[in-house]
Amino acid sequence: MTEIMFFILSLVTIIGALGTVISKNAYASALWMITAFVSMAGLFILLNAPFVAMLQIIVYAGAIAILILFVMMLLDRRVLDNKNKFNPQYFWGVILGVGLFSDLAVLAYKFKINMSDAGKNLTLHGSNTKMIGDVLFKHYLFPFEIIAIILLVALVGAIVLTKDDKKEAR
Amino acid sequence: MLVEYMVVSALIFAIGATGVMIRRNFIVVLMSLELMLNGAGMLLITMSYYLGNVSGQIMFIFVAAVAASETAIGLAIVVMMYKRKGSIDINDFSMLKK
Repeated sequence: MTEIMFFILSLVTIIGALGTVISKNAYASALWMITAFVSMAGLFILLNAPFVAMLQIIVYAGAIAILILFVMMLLDRRVLDNKNKFNPQYFWGVILGVGLFSDLAVLAYKFKINMSDAGKNLTLHGSNTKMIGDVLFKHYLFPFEIIAIILLVALVGAIVLTKDDKKEAR
Repeated sequence: MLVEYMVVSALIFAIGATGVMIRRNFIVVLMSLELMLNGAGMLLITMSYYLGNVSGQIMFIFVAAVAASETAIGLAIVVMMYKRKGSIDINDFSMLKK
């Protein structure tokens, strides 16, 4: 059962990723990207990570995809539909991508780890979220604060970049 | 199952990298960048499961936060370049070459 679910979800994820890269229309690309993200959340549930799966749906398929669609809505539609969707040298890009994948796949087949702990230590009192909170606020408190500062800097940076300079001069 | 998960995450990463290299639309390049980050994050979750350690999932939370910031900045750059050039084709963004 798990294998069948893994097969279906990974197939949908890969088709979504390919559709993101290949499809001509940018809106269709965004919708394919949402498909890939949601099915990848299903893969995370298969890996006993329900909290992260919900985070994936909220942050990636929710926030980031809506942000991208919103910016595309603001732009002119004719700007989005280019005549040439690929670079002139796309052949070398595809070759590099295939080479990267075969490299990583060979590494994956050669990779050996001690799997005696597989599926253990992921829950505290039967809850994955409690375990994440426990470890996050005991061992990763400083990186957590740094992430908060990074988000603040990104917020300020986005506002500064898109601010209209002409109105300020008036 | 470990090898299959790793191969799927490598495939997502490679498709995203190919999209970054071959597409001309800047917004689609940003989407492919998200796919790359997600493929790497899926490897983190896989290792978290098979090593029995929850730290991988916490790293994924950090990766998601950085991805959100990166998208916000990237889209701000898209809007700025669109205002300046009237185009979001990546081959038009070559001011620093001149």
